[in-house]
Amino acid sequence: MRTEDLVGSLAGEVRPVRRLSSPPVRLLAWLALSLPWIALVVWYRGPRTDIALKIGEGIWLFEQSLALMTALAAGLAALCASIPGRPVWERVLPLLPLGLWLAIIVVGSIRSVVAGGAWSSLVQVDWVCLPNIASLGVVPAIAMIAFIRRGAPVSPYTTIGYAALAATALGEFGLRFFHAQDASLMVLVWQIGSVALLTVICIFFARYLFPWRIDVRTVSG
Amino acid sequence: METGTENVSLESLMQAAQAGDGSAYEHLLRSVVPVLRRQARAKWIGSIEPEDLVQDVLLSLHSVRHTYDPSRPFLPWLSAIFRRRLVDLQRRHIRKAKNEVTTDTLPETFSGDETNWLEDGQGDPDLLKSAIASLPAGQRRAIELLKIQELSLKEAAERTGMSISALKVAVHRGMKSLKQALGA
Repeated sequence: MRTEDLVGSLAGEVRPVRRLSSPPVRLLAWLALSLPWIALVVWYRGPRTDIALKIGEGIWLFEQSLALMTALAAGLAALCASIPGRPVWERVLPLLPLGLWLAIIVVGSIRSVVAGGAWSSLVQVDWVCLPNIASLGVVPAIAMIAFIRRGAPVSPYTTIGYAALAATALGEFGLRFFHAQDASLMVLVWQIGSVALLTVICIFFARYLFPWRIDVRTVSG
Repeated sequence: METGTENVSLESLMQAAQAGDGSAYEHLLRSVVPVLRRQARAKWIGSIEPEDLVQDVLLSLHSVRHTYDPSRPFLPWLSAIFRRRLVDLQRRHIRKAKNEVTTDTLPETFSGDETNWLEDGQGDPDLLKSAIASLPAGQRRAIELLKIQELSLKEAAERTGMSISALKVAVHRGMKSLKQALGA
């Protein structure tokens, strides 16, 4: 088929389209879908017994704020990355809260190691974090993927990576409301580890989760 | 990526195209085709025709035209689509080259004459060409890739950005229309 003919066909078939809302508006819509789910799971599992004490604890609040900020920044970056031609800084933005969050947890872990104690007492098996974060993150992940699939897969790996990070970081944020495990090394290995693992798995399937899709009306003619 | 003096108007043309203005859309596409063609020729895409890349970009642009924000410049938006489709094409070429075996003589499928008949068979090639040309764009592209170029469904899906099921639908409808047009 000649390109000139293709141009004619596309122009002949063009129909009005509804433009995508801005990424911040879509992020709010994502939060409106995701936060009730997180609240529902926390309610179903039952908040930890020391929750009132924890909310008054500075470091716990700071870590939770960073987890939430990472989720928001990653969600915004995923939505921006699914729109062609957006500035690069939008994709770098989540690295700030993510880096700070990791730094706080790593510093806490180093302190606990320096303070001494056998590794076996510092790091215990806590497999429940992975399914917990996965179940908390499933609705935010589905919602985010539905949102970004309205965009264009110009950076599928970055987009899906940030989408998964947004969902799992939000899951981690919710997890700490009912899972009483605050030791930095445990948080680093099991909770942050689960976030990282789930994110990497999603990136691996990026091309399937976010492929190019042609307008069906163009196909059916 | 530069189009010369038409930068100012591309944004408004695209905005009009989003509102369903076919002539503005045609003007826009005709303006960007030479740019895309020049860019495609400047990039390495192996044995794949630069025109295939141009057409891929046009189809991709068409399918995601709702993502364009008129308050932002048009060309960076188009460039991002071009770069992605270029990478897709390069990857496809490399993957294909790894699995290809070149041969001087094509092997016979069966020894019988009828299975190795190279002359044109029955039918009117001109009539077939005009029947294909009259198909809608999506169906025509599907017929060309799957029936004429004999690509697999997966390859055709990668090239067009259409899903495999959409390609099946398009080729089925295309074949049905062709049969009607040819009176078969």
